[in-house]
Amino acid sequence: MALIDIDNLVFGYGKATPVLDGVNLSIAHGERIAILGGNGSGKTTLAQWIAGSLPRPGMTARSGTLHAEGKPWSDWDALKRAETIQFVGQIPSQQISGFAFTVYDEIVFGPGNLGLEEAEIRKRANWALDTCNLRHLVERDPFTLSGGEQQRLSIAAALVMQPKALVLDEPTGNFDPESRDKLLNQINQLPEDLTVILCDMALKPALAIARRFVLLDEGRIVADSDAQAILAHPRTLEIFGAPAVTEAALAIRAAGRWPESKPLPFTYGQAETLFKEVSHAHG
Amino acid sequence: MITQGSSQTGTALLYVPGNSFIHRMNPLTKLVGLLWLAATTFMLPPGGMAVIFAATFLFGVLAGAGKAFIKRLILTLGPFAIFLFVIHGVLIERHDTIQHEWISFSPEGAQYMLKILVRVAALLAASMLFVTTTHPANLLKALDSHGVPPGIAYLIASPLLLLEPFSARARAIRDAQQARGLDLTGSWKARVKAFPALLIPLVTLALSDLDHRATVLDGRAFRARPFRVVLDAPVDRPYECWLRRALLIALPLQIGVLLWL
Repeated sequence: MALIDIDNLVFGYGKATPVLDGVNLSIAHGERIAILGGNGSGKTTLAQWIAGSLPRPGMTARSGTLHAEGKPWSDWDALKRAETIQFVGQIPSQQISGFAFTVYDEIVFGPGNLGLEEAEIRKRANWALDTCNLRHLVERDPFTLSGGEQQRLSIAAALVMQPKALVLDEPTGNFDPESRDKLLNQINQLPEDLTVILCDMALKPALAIARRFVLLDEGRIVADSDAQAILAHPRTLEIFGAPAVTEAALAIRAAGRWPESKPLPFTYGQAETLFKEVSHAHG
Repeated sequence: MITQGSSQTGTALLYVPGNSFIHRMNPLTKLVGLLWLAATTFMLPPGGMAVIFAATFLFGVLAGAGKAFIKRLILTLGPFAIFLFVIHGVLIERHDTIQHEWISFSPEGAQYMLKILVRVAALLAASMLFVTTTHPANLLKALDSHGVPPGIAYLIASPLLLLEPFSARARAIRDAQQARGLDLTGSWKARVKAFPALLIPLVTLALSDLDHRATVLDGRAFRARPFRVVLDAPVDRPYECWLRRALLIALPLQIGVLLWL
């Protein structure tokens, strides 16, 4: 049974043009999936639907359904939902509960609400602190942390719930390249069975984490494939451009010298090997 | 585990880290004690209230919060004393008012002013003793561990925690609006006119934050159960339980006597 099953979902705020316009998407347990799209493509709305924070009271889908493990989100109680899926939004300061005076208390806030045993809470908190590299900040007030530290704290507070899926909405949007790479590395080291759903408008985080890529454009899914196909998709190039090495390979392919069967590179490491192979093949 | 003695909080707290006897008391005992003292000040003559003030001040000094006490007491009681004196000693005419050229003075008014001032001083000193020796995190843990609904604990915690980010945002909005040409240095009329340009974005953003915060709390299963599991709850000694019970019995009795008399 899929973790998330979205069937022809049409949703908009009020009477405005739908933000999601006939979305069909199935996400299996343990998948690492990136939902890519430009500004206003519907990524955040889709992420909130997946996480169960939409629709809010008084809102409904214009058509379609979303099921989590075979049941509509509305049939889930708050406790089960929190144990199943966790959402980390774009703005780090808005992800803090407002209940805890220290980083440690912020992390144990969720498990405390779940009613877990003290020993289990401490075990999970220690794991989350180490995973997100927060050990040195345990006594700090969450609101005095930098944006990057707050984002790591939000992820730790989500992970400590030990959900089956983690939905990350542009988690590295406010990061410098070094901090971004560190966080992506930490996300990559998360347990294999954890489903990670990354919504982003940058290719780099998506390529670093995901193995499946969904391209969202004006509320519709226009591509759902692996990295190779998504990088070669014309809308990807229009919206994001592509890494310099990929653009170079695409230019060579357009000139007929890069075979369709040869994968495109998207990191310098891959480029080194592939460019050598292509140049050898063409003498 | 963490909060006692922590100096890295950025929140606008009056808490003074320490390990005194008062610091180590269970926050609920201190809270009940504060309520009892507040009720008691209404029953005592000015001399008794002065004793309460002096005792709480002394405890504050012993707890290492003397500086904070003096600063707050002067800042609060100084202007309040002047205000009371002008109202009761000078402006309100009484049967014993003495008129000397253009100034009038009532000894009875001054006595009444002194009574109110000593009561307020006692209440303020008792409250100061509570807030300077009790970290809000410990109060929350004590409330949680005694089965107080999490929503009530949240009402106490969130204003304290969100005050600092809220002030930072207000400053950012002020700077942004000034950069766009908003004049905050002119006459009071110009400042009043500029006020909506500061207030509206602040309120709008605060409301947007509320929405996000509600989603976060929902995601962390807040109030999904009627109780929370608390780590490192403050120690609650048996004598403190008995003391609280005694004070909680005395409190309504005292209020009853006060109303009866």
